[in-house]
Amino acid sequence: MGERKVTVAAEVGLHARPAATFVQRAMKAPMDITVAKMNSAKAPVSGKSILAIMALDVRQGETVVISAEGEGSEELLDELAEIAGTP
Amino acid sequence: MTTVLAPVEGAAVGLAAVPDPVFSAGMVGPGTAIDPLRGPGKAVAPIAGKIMKLHPHAYVIVGDDGKGVLVHLGIDTVQLKGKGFQLLAAEGDRVSAGQPVVAWDPAAIEAGGRSPVCPVVALDALSEAVTRVAEGAVHVGDELFRWE
Repeated sequence: MGERKVTVAAEVGLHARPAATFVQRAMKAPMDITVAKMNSAKAPVSGKSILAIMALDVRQGETVVISAEGEGSEELLDELAEIAGTP
Repeated sequence: MTTVLAPVEGAAVGLAAVPDPVFSAGMVGPGTAIDPLRGPGKAVAPIAGKIMKLHPHAYVIVGDDGKGVLVHLGIDTVQLKGKGFQLLAAEGDRVSAGQPVVAWDPAAIEAGGRSPVCPVVALDALSEAVTRVAEGAVHVGDELFRWE
């Protein structure tokens, strides 16, 4: 299982535009993708659900752990980490 | 089936008319957008449920069936940091469809150089799940679209 830890840089956090961009990319991948908030009691959520990502309520400066496994997952994780880390 | 109500009064213009590619390309989800009547008004809950997320400029209501509807009050309005918006409910509140959530003034948003157009989006929905989308004039609480 590969994972990336990323600090969310967007002012709005992982909402609206960054969340939509993230999910759009995640939906193109065949494997399951999970997103968890560091130091949070909330369970990891699917990276393919914009509602679940919004419910995770990740704010600017908070760190998420993005996980996926399978063929192509390393490249996918790199791309998702870049989206989550874009201001 | 969920009936999604118009959260603001104005003209239903479709998501393609939203001056933000994330919404106009349907990346956030299917739905429509309302070009709101200019002047002070109250944006209401488009469905009954729980306020899962409440920003001054946007909110998400999740119904008992788990369906989430996003209402975004104007474009790039996050930059206003809440100025010009008054919260009439709190995150986590249960609301009925049509209950006021945020008071705002689309005319003031426009005067500030931003579009006051309001995307109303079915989150995680397939585009074909959204039907009977209203076009043209809508009043607050009118049926805006159906989510099958």
